[in-house]
Amino acid sequence: MFLDSLSLTRIPAHDEALRGPVRIFLERALAGVPTEVRARSWSGFDADFSRALGERGWIGLTLPSEYGGGGRSVFARFVLVEELLRAGAPVAAHWVADRQSAPQILRFGTVEQARRFLPGICRGEVYFCIGMSEPNAGSDLASVRTRATRTASGWRLEGQKIWTTNAHRTHFMLALARSSGDASSRRAGLSQFIVDLASPGITVRPIADLNGDAHFCEVFFDGVELAADALLGNEGDGWKQVTSELAHERSGPERIYASLLLLDEWLAWLRARGRPSERSLALAGRILAVMSVLRSLSVAVTAQLDAGASPLVESALVKDLGTTLEQFIPETIADALGEDPDAPLPESLARTLRYVAQIAPSFSLRGGTREVLRGMIARGLGLR
Amino acid sequence: MHDELAAAFDAWLADVCPPGIVRAIDDGGSSATLWQQIESSGYLDALVPEAHGGAGLALAAVRPLVQACGARAVPVPFAETMVARAELARAGRAASDGPLALAELDDATLPAVERGTWLAALTSALIAGAAERVLELASTYAQQRVQFGRPIGSFQAVQHQLAVMAEQTCAARMAAQLAFASPQPRPDRTLAAMAKCVAGEAAAIVAAGGHAVHGAIGITAAYDLQLSTRRLLAWRTEGGSPAYWSREVGLAWWRSGEARALDFALARLDAGHG
Repeated sequence: MFLDSLSLTRIPAHDEALRGPVRIFLERALAGVPTEVRARSWSGFDADFSRALGERGWIGLTLPSEYGGGGRSVFARFVLVEELLRAGAPVAAHWVADRQSAPQILRFGTVEQARRFLPGICRGEVYFCIGMSEPNAGSDLASVRTRATRTASGWRLEGQKIWTTNAHRTHFMLALARSSGDASSRRAGLSQFIVDLASPGITVRPIADLNGDAHFCEVFFDGVELAADALLGNEGDGWKQVTSELAHERSGPERIYASLLLLDEWLAWLRARGRPSERSLALAGRILAVMSVLRSLSVAVTAQLDAGASPLVESALVKDLGTTLEQFIPETIADALGEDPDAPLPESLARTLRYVAQIAPSFSLRGGTREVLRGMIARGLGLR
Repeated sequence: MHDELAAAFDAWLADVCPPGIVRAIDDGGSSATLWQQIESSGYLDALVPEAHGGAGLALAAVRPLVQACGARAVPVPFAETMVARAELARAGRAASDGPLALAELDDATLPAVERGTWLAALTSALIAGAAERVLELASTYAQQRVQFGRPIGSFQAVQHQLAVMAEQTCAARMAAQLAFASPQPRPDRTLAAMAKCVAGEAAAIVAAGGHAVHGAIGITAAYDLQLSTRRLLAWRTEGGSPAYWSREVGLAWWRSGEARALDFALARLDAGHG
């Protein structure tokens, strides 16, 4: 069974060695940034920060050096990402390009496409968003209706995307569109396109979230003309291509640590007050125990990726467990703090808790809902 | 090499300790024959140093053996005896024949705190094995049992229960690996504590899920599920429940002086790699 494949793995020493320099850089770069801002974790957007990271060679770490990448292993990237999340670094600008778009362009694109996009991504200057969800295609991604029609010079794009993270402040979208057939064709006839978001005919409208942030957007394509080389990979292979990166997207440290800044703020507060209550001690222990085991699972999946496998079921499993921990943390910390309603809470802890608790439901929605993931695990068990 | 050892041990266990034997011993039958076979197999000296005539295996190498005992619901204290024999040998003392309990060893041979650590590690691995067995029984049953004209495993509500059981089983397996990860002869206390928190929680969820999927047949004495679920619940609290070990992890964090959660976790996980 797939459970047997996840073995306790140590990150190689030369990859682990990246942790020190990254930590030193982040301590300096993020000095004075309030915790509730850092708590945005990988949703925090800061182009200056992304460029500074790019200058150090810490974007595109696993990409080949000929395209400006670091030529390092997925373990090195694990260490880097873990430190970025520990610090609450505002990585959103380059995040999607670094994690998904660049590897996809490298894998499915032409040499020309790789030369055109990857160096800018690695410098932290070129940002991507992922155009998958539509008003009637959420978890049921195969029902996308955005259509790409062949023209004399390339393609014309018509349709609409929604919940596209950072479409209003990224440069390109990797869009999934129907290039043949209709909605009943399902997975067949879908293709991926690299869409320049500055093209005429594109309207982007940010959507405010319940915290007052605006990170996801509606995107409208009204007769958008694309050159022939906007097509990524083969026409009709879109489904295969978008699902090929899911293991990378779902198994990383970012599916365990979304509430880490809150956890640290609470632990620091416990320490500052003296010996914690038995209840708080047990809660801290439980969270740290689960976190340590899930981190070990995430490293074990990384080892599979390193070996060239595509551990889809394993990464679905780690993501569901990880986001459950991410949601457990704000709920139980709020409960523990409410144990003594008269104890004054530092403003920073109160604001961080409010932010994380309110955004926490999104942790098990983004990147594949809990229900979709459990369906994939059930398939792994032979039930579907 | 360790995988081969584990596979050989498991195949041997399947032979000497099938569900019929487990049930008979659970029902009060004699375990003398089974114990005789276990003693003569040599596996009980897996952890005894080579200088004392044992196999001198590292801690991590015996985790699959303990897990296999959990999966096969071995109704005699194989794992505790294996550990007790190693502790006695290292203390320069002779082990008596027959099953041993860690509680029988005096403090000079095995301090109480180390006994607790051992039990946390052992029960974590036993749970991991039993959870795998329950998941296997439940997934198989869900594919065979037909209701409303289709296998119940085709219903989403059932699929999601099984998916959660798979997640918990996977977490318990990794927890058990951590509990046995120390390069020292004894488990690392904080890693074993973390493991028992996670495996103990998994035990309750997997046992409940296994019964939910099976329905009434799973409650019967005649069906094998109970051999594993009764043990899952017993191992969950034996040597300390998740509540007890959570507090131990919390205390370890408090005493460590670490300011940040990840720094504490990484330092502890590093102890598992030596």
